[in-house]
Amino acid sequence: MASALEQFVNTVRTLSSHGNFRELCEYLSKSSEVLVKNTQHLDNVLETLDIQQHSLGILTVLCAKFSAPATTGNNAQDNRFTQTQEFILNCNGEHIRLAPDTFAELCHLLTNYLVEQKQPLKGICILEKAISKLRLFDSQLTSIHADLCQLCVVAKCFKPALKLIDIDITGICQEQSYNTNGPQFDAKYFLLYYYYGGLVYLAVRNLERALYFFEVAITTPAHAVSHIMLEAYKKYILVSLLLHGKILLLPKYASQVVNRFIKPLSQPYHDLATAFTSNSSAELNAVLTRHTEVFTRDHNLGLVKQVSSVLYKKNIQRLTKTFLTLSLSDVASRVGLSSPSEAESHILQMIETRQIFATINQKDGMVIFRDEPEKFSGPEVLKGLEEQLQLCMDLDKQILSMDEEIQVNPQYVKKSTGFQEEEQPNKSTYAM
Amino acid sequence: MVMNNNIDKLAEDLEKQELEAPNGVATPQLYEQLLAIYLYQNDLCNAKYLWKRIPESVKTSAPELKNIWAVGQCMWRRDFPGIYKALNKVTWSDTVADIMKEVQESIRNRAVDLISQAYSSITIDTVCAMTGLTPDICIPACAEKGWSFEADTNMIHPVRQVVEPAGQTSSEDQLYKLTDFVSFLEN
Repeated sequence: MASALEQFVNTVRTLSSHGNFRELCEYLSKSSEVLVKNTQHLDNVLETLDIQQHSLGILTVLCAKFSAPATTGNNAQDNRFTQTQEFILNCNGEHIRLAPDTFAELCHLLTNYLVEQKQPLKGICILEKAISKLRLFDSQLTSIHADLCQLCVVAKCFKPALKLIDIDITGICQEQSYNTNGPQFDAKYFLLYYYYGGLVYLAVRNLERALYFFEVAITTPAHAVSHIMLEAYKKYILVSLLLHGKILLLPKYASQVVNRFIKPLSQPYHDLATAFTSNSSAELNAVLTRHTEVFTRDHNLGLVKQVSSVLYKKNIQRLTKTFLTLSLSDVASRVGLSSPSEAESHILQMIETRQIFATINQKDGMVIFRDEPEKFSGPEVLKGLEEQLQLCMDLDKQILSMDEEIQVNPQYVKKSTGFQEEEQPNKSTYAM
Repeated sequence: MVMNNNIDKLAEDLEKQELEAPNGVATPQLYEQLLAIYLYQNDLCNAKYLWKRIPESVKTSAPELKNIWAVGQCMWRRDFPGIYKALNKVTWSDTVADIMKEVQESIRNRAVDLISQAYSSITIDTVCAMTGLTPDICIPACAEKGWSFEADTNMIHPVRQVVEPAGQTSSEDQLYKLTDFVSFLEN
């Protein structure tokens, strides 16, 4: 074994046994170059280190193994997955939280590796474990979240991701080790989390949550256009049409970038929305054919087609506002469907999903539109109300506790009192 | 209801096993059961993606998977006659036979609910198509539900069911929640 590596092993062992982790982290951040140069011996190094006691050392070695230029020998490459798997499942959680950036980096590397190998399913359990080791509480976002969502999307296996993204995020893991020049929580992973999360919700047809996730992605403060934001914006438009029949106004806190650059870049989608709001299926289909190439290139064609089929339903819904009874053939001709039986199947589907309330009379081929039978007095309504109130109360609690945290933040106190001394010391400058 | 809980539990187990499968490929039996369960739960999205992620080699080695998914495709298109045809044209292996029986049962129940919600009169042919039953079984079954049958026009007149609200919560619980709300609103 090369002497540089021997020295590496010795240093890791001494510093770990003395509990001198701060120094160890500093040392490790400088030693990756040496490790990368000696890739062929790294397996020997791993054997000399203990997975619990020298977690940080192993972490650095594994990262080096992934970032080393691909070697020609197959054996050297093949054990990376099993080694990483074993490490993530058995490593010392307290230790790796001292070098969160390196740990997250290892997970990113593993993710890329699995996507390249086309075996994303294998990594899902491992990353779940990794997240539970890194985060301090359930609603804390780590950059590994984005990796897990990505793996789930690529593997087309969404349930594991749902468990994660159903939890609303209230904190972000500061992925910064003692090496202060190292990368902090990269905005890329924040955006990716919300983008992939939105995709997962789209896949399982939870449109409300999908819309929310895309909204978070596009309202992230930004000075430059990010491709992730651009794609999220396109999907935001489509989901918004599917769900509300129009483009919802973006919140005011969305950054200028969205209006100035992202909107002009998604012109075909705005055309689609304009056609949709005109309620004419013919016009919508014209836009669809005109921009098919763009939609296909953006991999949004499936969603766009859904938008066009939703327009029929929306038009049927509009009929219920004007008519009490209508024959099926009238429905078909007004909405632009080709036959009464097609209209019947659309209506049947809408009744099942409770989008309209109607009764079909096959004897005379008529539809009778009814009012919503909900009486707003049953226990169901009360239960819904209770749940909503509970949510509001939780949110209020959350805001209060965040507010408190800011009030006692030394930096904030210093700034606000300093400001008051210079200006007029009148009423509290802080309002919620 | 017992069946329901068991199936949900089985589904969870199978999902976990799939994730832990070596090389990310599970056994054909696992895929078959999981796919059938998703159909039973009417979880067509997850069924579709499961079908998409099953490797091609497994699909060719276990032709039954294709038969199960054929049912799923008809469900996706809401093609009731197609569903029953796909369900009954093959004999299911022991792995999935029980679940597929439940699938048929739950689909028929859904169809009956839908008919009672959506139609004030419906031809006997449509009822037969949606429930997958022959007229001589259908007519007595409808009569049992109180749906009248007009022989000269071949029409059935379904009666809409009023959905009974779920059970009340205890008043003590109710009171507790109310105090919570009031104290929140006051502060």
